[in-house]
Amino acid sequence: MRLRIERRLNQPGWLAVAVPLGSVAFAFFAIAVVLLATGHNPAHTFAKLVRSAFFDSGALSATLVSATPLAFTGLAAAAAFRMNLFNIGGEGQLYFGVAGAVAIALVLGKGAPTAVAIAAMCVAGAVAGAAWAAIPGVLRAFAKTNEIITSLMLNYVAALVLNYLIFDSHSYWRDTTSPSAAVFPQGQAIPDTAMWPFATIGGIAGGIALPLGIGIAVLVATALWGLYKHTRFGFELQVIADSPRAARYAGMRTRRKILAVMCLSGAIAGLGGAAQVGNFDHLLDPRSLQQQLFGYSGIVVAALARYNPFAVVVIAFLLGGLKNAGFALQGADFPSGLVGVMQGIFLFSVLGGEILNRYRITLSRAGQGTHVEPAG
Amino acid sequence: MNNSIAVVVFASAVAYGTPLLYAALGELLAERSGVLNLGVEGMMLVGAAMGFWAVQRIGGPSGVVLPLAVGVAALAGAAVALIHAFLVITLRASQIVSGLALTIFAGAAGLSSYLGNDLQLADVPASHSFHPVNLFGLGDLPVVGPIVFGQTWLVYTSWLCVVAVALYLSRTRTGLNVRAVGESPQTADAMGIDVVGYRYVHTLVGGAFAGVGGACFSLAITPQWTNDLTGGAGWIAIALVIFAFWRPDLCLVGAYFFGAFQALPFQLQARGILTQIPPEVFSALPYVMTVVVLVLVSSGIAKRRLGAPGALGLPYVREER
Amino acid sequence: MSQSAPSLVSARPAVACRGITKRFPGVLANDEVDFEAVEGEVHALLGENGAGKSTLSNILTGLYRADEGELEIHGRPVAFHAPRDALDVGICMVHQHFRLVEPFTVAENVILGDHRDVGRSFRIDSRAIERRVTELGQRYGLAIDSRARIWQLSVGEQQRVEILKALFREARILILDEPTAVLTPQEATELFVTLRAMAAEGRTVIFISHKLHEVMAVADRVTVLRRGRSIGTLSVSETSSQALAALMVGRELEGSSAPKPHKLGDVVLSVEGLWAEGDRGAPAVKDVSLAVHAGEIVGIAGVAGNGQRELAETITGMRRATEGVVRVDGVVLRNGDPRSAIHARVAHIPEDRLSTAVASSLSIASNVVLKSYRDADHSWGPILRLRAIGQRARRLIEQFDVHTPGPQVPARQLSGGNLQKVVIGREFMGMPRVLIAAAPTRGLDVGAIESVQMYLRDAADMNVGVLLISEDLDEVLTLADRIVVLYEGRIAGEVDAAQATVEEIGLLMAGGQAS
Repeated sequence: MRLRIERRLNQPGWLAVAVPLGSVAFAFFAIAVVLLATGHNPAHTFAKLVRSAFFDSGALSATLVSATPLAFTGLAAAAAFRMNLFNIGGEGQLYFGVAGAVAIALVLGKGAPTAVAIAAMCVAGAVAGAAWAAIPGVLRAFAKTNEIITSLMLNYVAALVLNYLIFDSHSYWRDTTSPSAAVFPQGQAIPDTAMWPFATIGGIAGGIALPLGIGIAVLVATALWGLYKHTRFGFELQVIADSPRAARYAGMRTRRKILAVMCLSGAIAGLGGAAQVGNFDHLLDPRSLQQQLFGYSGIVVAALARYNPFAVVVIAFLLGGLKNAGFALQGADFPSGLVGVMQGIFLFSVLGGEILNRYRITLSRAGQGTHVEPAG
Repeated sequence: MNNSIAVVVFASAVAYGTPLLYAALGELLAERSGVLNLGVEGMMLVGAAMGFWAVQRIGGPSGVVLPLAVGVAALAGAAVALIHAFLVITLRASQIVSGLALTIFAGAAGLSSYLGNDLQLADVPASHSFHPVNLFGLGDLPVVGPIVFGQTWLVYTSWLCVVAVALYLSRTRTGLNVRAVGESPQTADAMGIDVVGYRYVHTLVGGAFAGVGGACFSLAITPQWTNDLTGGAGWIAIALVIFAFWRPDLCLVGAYFFGAFQALPFQLQARGILTQIPPEVFSALPYVMTVVVLVLVSSGIAKRRLGAPGALGLPYVREER
Repeated sequence: MSQSAPSLVSARPAVACRGITKRFPGVLANDEVDFEAVEGEVHALLGENGAGKSTLSNILTGLYRADEGELEIHGRPVAFHAPRDALDVGICMVHQHFRLVEPFTVAENVILGDHRDVGRSFRIDSRAIERRVTELGQRYGLAIDSRARIWQLSVGEQQRVEILKALFREARILILDEPTAVLTPQEATELFVTLRAMAAEGRTVIFISHKLHEVMAVADRVTVLRRGRSIGTLSVSETSSQALAALMVGRELEGSSAPKPHKLGDVVLSVEGLWAEGDRGAPAVKDVSLAVHAGEIVGIAGVAGNGQRELAETITGMRRATEGVVRVDGVVLRNGDPRSAIHARVAHIPEDRLSTAVASSLSIASNVVLKSYRDADHSWGPILRLRAIGQRARRLIEQFDVHTPGPQVPARQLSGGNLQKVVIGREFMGMPRVLIAAAPTRGLDVGAIESVQMYLRDAADMNVGVLLISEDLDEVLTLADRIVVLYEGRIAGEVDAAQATVEEIGLLMAGGQAS
């Protein structure tokens, strides 16, 4: 018997359902093994996990808080990765989006109506994210520099810029007045009028607070889908992604499109930053942003969603639930690191399961030739 | 004289550069075989945690415990790398996504943090740690003394590793095979070289080096366990490999160069010099310089002579048409 | 040649395949192939593209594993699990796409993977290795600088490195896959001398080709493959080109129909003093000037790699010209802008079908409008008119007789012939003034070749100016009115197709002067 791995010429429809389900089932199995090995009861933990992610009082609201930034960074990554542009810079672009949105909210102050403040923050966040993404974009489009590493490096530069703004300067973003800020440097809060609203839906477990950000994320997902499916721009992107030579042959302006996609991706990440600060953080907090790894998680979200914008939103919701449940479970007998481990196993399983989509793996009998080792 | 800022900065550049050097050498080996592993940070953290665990649990004199602990760290790093190897080599998953997933799995919010909690590593002093050794009694020489002869065994060993890796890649048959696997796996395969085997081995060895790099923090620099104690060194190591044009000798230079930028702000602050320059500028320089170097090597001819291994990041599939 | 053949009856078999079957998804590449080659012979494997020659050779070298069948090497049954197993029993292969590590030196490439000679020791002594490789090259008349890096070498030199690799390993069995495709006729003759010398030493040379005259020139025996099956093995001295051709194709070939005389119109394409650089930055097109009239087919002949690809790309704007202009209907095209050529109705059938002519994982419909998606027919402002695009694709499928389940099928699932029909259909639907066709029949089966050639003639009849670039001299001779020969990027000469002889053109292709 031997294993054969062959590329699939076409992917039957049932695979698209069976493979992710199988991967998730495997992930739960593997996590159960880990939980058993670390002295936890898997059934108990899973039940608690699902409850605290989705069913406890206030759980859904908390899950949405975790899911919103992941949806944005996931969409940002999906927009670029779909085109074989590996923008790893969602992290830094989100930071810049936060800085841009906070700046405009502070500039507008209390005077601006909420709707104006929100619109301005969205634009500022998107522009700041796009600008930061334009650096690797220009380098890739015009100097053929690999965007993976440049966008990755720029994440750290962006993080340091935020640190500088809050910890090592008396910048506009820093709170220099309040008493607590005198003890430890912190960002200045945006005015109440610039805080993004939540829509409250009654019903399950005392109502769900739906952040405006997740609504915008769904809109962005829809727009991305329409862009890729129904526009000339999207058509050109598909061709460039599949074969840059064919795109050149067809007279497409490849470089401009590369730059445009990088900026689009950065803009979405930046918008995520605006949503994060508008809906939840309300100030520029470099430490917290850097601990969350929104950008990197977004790439994994996008990969798990196979770069489909609607699937990104769903996966972000599920991962958000896992993350939120992690906070809830955290305690002496469930160390925080275990959540990361569980997330990792989940990611590895789905990632590894992808091979079944692309390849057919069969067990077959070896050839009938007598098995004599070749003479040396 | 040995207290002058230049000497102190250079000496601590070597100390801070050493974990970068180990991790970069490992990443270099993996990348030379065609496997990009962005999970260096995670592997370093797990190595740091397991190395620290080993010194706390193994009894005996430092001379025995510390090498054992480094070995444990190396094994831990390799074990984490095995996940990446299996995913990208056998299952042909995207190297980028898998590497990032590895960071999430093993990083500051994952396995390393769990190990730190579960093995109760935090807030305890190290039972053994690496101390500077006055090599050949030359540590008191002016200038070169503290920089070259007043370091820990981890530093001296890293020099041996640089020489070993450099000779391995350029002067040995297996080294030639690794380079062929990374440049053109089709050719290597046709010439009877086991592409999958070479990639596995070098990804694992890369993980082992990263684990040792992490142990440099928990056994020498800090020396104790705190969550996220590497503070982004793994990402700098990835930058370093590019900065060094995938060459081990230049990795050494680059590691100390980058190490100096980590050491410089503290020294400047302590001495109250150049305080008008924000420390972030120095911290950002390694990243910015890596971007600049990448742009420079992106042009056609430079790419061929100095650039990345030809098949870096690409899965190899034999039976395909 | 046949008088130098050893007595094949007494010779010991080197390779024996029995009932080799290999399936790929959707393809039966080898169907119970029987094949035997003896020591000291040059044995040709003859067959059309897709006949299963490459698959068989990949099985012989351990790259693929046969699904069924037996393999004996020097009388011993073997089962290869990896290329190393084949190397260990002395089988080496020179692939069509060379297996060389570009940044490595010649010497490093030669010893790569070797484990019985200087490559055996763990430490590599580059001086000693370089010396060994240089000596070996001198012994077999394959002079080459062993310290040069592969990317610095010409294609012909790279092939010599491949042969050196085999000699270095003391290969008993050498397989060459279409080795002459990259050589001039003269270089090919030199290669044949080397191959005969190797056979004379008792080695077995398996020579894969689809060119009859080469097989007749170099081989002792020939095995014909057709559609994955072995049709038979013949001694070259006892057969003829015609008989082999019939076996290869499965029917008698019709004599090529004489091209109808075209009525020439005005000059539609004129190229004046064109220079362009190749991928490595060296000039690849040098001072090329030519004109194509409406209704005329101008053939560009030459050995692969003499600037043909670069010329086609420069005319169509895919490559920037460093000097010179291209005019279509008297209007100068914008340099380096494919869109300008498209607007001037320059149709282009590129030689690289799967990665240039189409975006292969996109649907047929997408590929049908690859160049016309910007037109008002197919988009409404920035929005695509998907329904109109689907209709256009269905019309093309019908008109050009493309065999496919429907327009939404990814292009890569089409066979080569059907894919080329999609490309030709798309280019023809754009009502071209000029057609640049580069290697339009490469890799197609006989039926598809005939229909592609028919389409090219139709284009000329419809008053399109056709520039046919092909390495297949027979094709150029059959179709073209005039033949321009390129050598090292320059026009080496021009001949009238009706009067030209193969010898004359061959001389020009090698850089000689036309008499």
